[in-house]
Amino acid sequence: MWTVEALFGVAWLFAGLVVWWILDDNPSRTAQWVVGGLLLVFAVTYVAIMPRWRYRVHRWEATASAIYTQTGWIKQERRIAPLSRVQTVDLERGPIAQLFTLASVTVTTASAAGPIKVHGLDRAVAQELVEGLTAAAVADTGDAT
Amino acid sequence: MTEHQPGSGPLAAEQTDQSEQSEPAPPARSTDPGDRVDQADQAEAMGPVPETDWRRLDGRMLLVNPLETLIRALPAVLAIFVARAGSDSGQRWELIAVPVILAFGALRWLTTRYRIQDGQIELRRGVITKQVTTARLDKVRTVDLTSKIYHRVLGLAKVEISTGSSAKERLVLDSLRVGQGRTLRAELLHRRGPAVAGLPGPTGAPVDASEVGLPASDASRLDDAGEVGDVELLRLDPGWVRYAPLTLTGLVSTVAIFGFVSQGLRTFGDEGKLLKSGVDSVGALTWWVDALLLVIVVSVLAVFAYVLSFWGFRLTRSHRGSLHTRRGLLTSRETSIDHARVRGIRLDEPIGLRLAGGRRLKVVTTGLRAERGGSDWLCPPAPADVVTDLARTIVPDDDAVFGRLHQHGGAARRRRLARALVPTSLLVLVVATAILRWDGPLTLLIALPPLPVIAVVVALDRYRGLGHRVTPDYLVTRQGSLDRRRVVLARSGVIGWTVVQSFFQRRSGVATLVATTAAGQQHYDVFDVPLERAYAIIAEISPDLLAQFQTPERAFDTSERPQVPDAQ
Repeated sequence: MWTVEALFGVAWLFAGLVVWWILDDNPSRTAQWVVGGLLLVFAVTYVAIMPRWRYRVHRWEATASAIYTQTGWIKQERRIAPLSRVQTVDLERGPIAQLFTLASVTVTTASAAGPIKVHGLDRAVAQELVEGLTAAAVADTGDAT
Repeated sequence: MTEHQPGSGPLAAEQTDQSEQSEPAPPARSTDPGDRVDQADQAEAMGPVPETDWRRLDGRMLLVNPLETLIRALPAVLAIFVARAGSDSGQRWELIAVPVILAFGALRWLTTRYRIQDGQIELRRGVITKQVTTARLDKVRTVDLTSKIYHRVLGLAKVEISTGSSAKERLVLDSLRVGQGRTLRAELLHRRGPAVAGLPGPTGAPVDASEVGLPASDASRLDDAGEVGDVELLRLDPGWVRYAPLTLTGLVSTVAIFGFVSQGLRTFGDEGKLLKSGVDSVGALTWWVDALLLVIVVSVLAVFAYVLSFWGFRLTRSHRGSLHTRRGLLTSRETSIDHARVRGIRLDEPIGLRLAGGRRLKVVTTGLRAERGGSDWLCPPAPADVVTDLARTIVPDDDAVFGRLHQHGGAARRRRLARALVPTSLLVLVVATAILRWDGPLTLLIALPPLPVIAVVVALDRYRGLGHRVTPDYLVTRQGSLDRRRVVLARSGVIGWTVVQSFFQRRSGVATLVATTAAGQQHYDVFDVPLERAYAIIAEISPDLLAQFQTPERAFDTSERPQVPDAQ
C-alpha cells in the first residue's frame, strides 16, 4: 500500500515537472532534464526504500488496557496510551487501502497531541481491534482527562 | 475518576427528558437571583428534580452589543466615511445598518437563555440557527469573567464557561451583570445554590484533594465548609513593574504599534511627510542614541502593557480549592480554575527575567489552552522567591518546584552544540562568500565571527537548562535558554507517552520523551534523554502500562522481537 501511495506522491512531482516544461518559454530544456534526472533518482530510491523501511518499523499491540504503536521511518515514534483515557476510535479506509482491503484505526485520547494511528491493518483485524477498543473504552467510566 | 455517586442517578445526562427542553419557560422569568432561589426551593420541595427557570442575559447588553458591532465594523465604517467625504449626495443609506444592528442585539437578547437543570447547564441561542448547548456540570473546568471597559461602565461581564480543551467546548454568555456572573460561577464551581447543591462536586466526591496530590492537611482545610472564605495567595506589588521591560511583551507591542501607526500614516499622505522628517532627524543621531531611544520606547511600552494587563492582580484560593485570579486596568478579567482540573504549573524564566532574578508562573490545567489570551497566568513577572513560594503553595512538592534536575548527559550536549554550530557556521560562510564575491560592505565581515561564539554560549546554556526529574507525584521537565521554562506536571495528568527518535537521535542513542496530557499545551516534552532513561521514566510513572508490553528492552528493540503480522 505504501508503495502505491509513494508512487502517487512521486507522480505529483513529475506532474509538476511536466507543467513547468510546458509553461517555460526558454527554448533550452537543460534545466528540466537536470531536475528531471535528479527527481527520477530520488523517486526510485524513495519508492524502493521507504515502504520496506516503514514496514520493518511499524508495529502495534493492544492489550486489555493499553495500546502501543511504533511508526515512522527516518523519524520514528512509539506511542503508548492506556485505554482508560481513550475518547474516540475511528476506522478509516482510503481509496488505495480499499484496493488492498486494508484499513487504518485512529485512537484519540483527551489530549490533542496524542492520537494513535495504526496503519495498514487487514480489514477484518481492524474491525476486531475497533470493537475491542470500543468495549474497553466504554467499560471505563470517567471523563478520561 | 469522575464516578457518579449513588443517588445522583436521575441527574445523569442520558436521562434528561427531551420534552422538557421544548417546554416553554415558566412565565415569571425574573433575573433577580434571590427571587429565583425561592422558586427553586419550592420546586425542590415538590419533586426530586426541580424545574429551574431559564435565565437571560442582562438587559444592558443591548447597549454593549451595538457598540461591539460598531468597533468590529470600524474599518468598514471608516471606509464609508472616507468614500462619503468625496461625494455630495445627501442620501445616507448606510444608516439603515443602525436599526438592523440594534434589532440583532435585541433578538440575541430575546433568544439567548440559559439554565442549570439536571446537573447540566443548558444554553439556548441563535437568531437564524437555533442552537442548544448542554454541558454536564461535572465537566466544567474553568469560568472566565471578562469585562471590557464599556462592560465595566455598565457593570457587566462576559462569562465564558469552558468544559473541554477545545474552543468549541465553550459556553459564552455575553453579558451578565457582574454579581450574576459571580453567582453563576459559585454555582458551577462550588455547587452553591439550590439547583446544584445536591450534585456531586466537580470531581465526583465533594473535593477530592488527593487526586491532585495535595497533602492531607490541605485537604482537611479545603473541606472546612464555607466559613473559612478565600485565602489570598498573591497580590501584585507595584514595584514588580520593573520586570516588565525584561520580557518580550514590550518588543512585541512596539512592533505592533509601529506597524499600526505606519499603516495609518500611509493612508493619510500628508502626515507621511511629517513622519519622514521625524525619521530623518532620528537617523541623523549617532547609533548609540538610536539604540538608547529604542530601549526607552520599548521599556515604556512594556511597563504600559504590564500595568494594563496585570493591574490589581490578585490570586486567591477559595475554601473549596478553586484558584481564582483577577486582573486588568481597563479590561478586567477574572478566571476561576477548578482545582481538580489543575494538572501542574509552568515556571517561566526567560533570559531577561532570569538575569534580574525574576520569574513568572502559569498554571497547567485542562480547559485552558496554553495559547489562549493568557488566562492561565498565576503570577505576572515577579521576584523569584515570591514566585517560588507561590508555586510551592500550589504544588506542595519542594523537589518538583526547585529541586535539582537530572541532566541529560553528553549526547544531549553534543546535540545542542551541533544544532547551534552547524546552521550558524553555514550562515557565516554563505554571507562571507556573498560579501567577498559581490563586494559587499566589508564592515559586515567583522560582525560575523562572534556569531558562532554566541551560538556556542547559547547552546551550552541550553544544555544547562535541560533537565528532568520524577518525584512521587510529579514529572518535572525543564528546557531552553533564551526562553527557559520548567514544567511540573502531575503524574495523574499524563495520558499517554510518545517516544520520538529522529535519525540523528537514534545514532546518538537519545530520544525525546513526550508526555501527552489533556491540559495546557497538550503535550510536554523531555528532550534528548538517553533512551533507557526515557523508558525508565515511563516505567516509573505508569508501571502497569509498560509492564504489559514485556520488558522495555524486549518490547522496544526492533531486532529481537518477532515480526507482528501487520499486513503490508
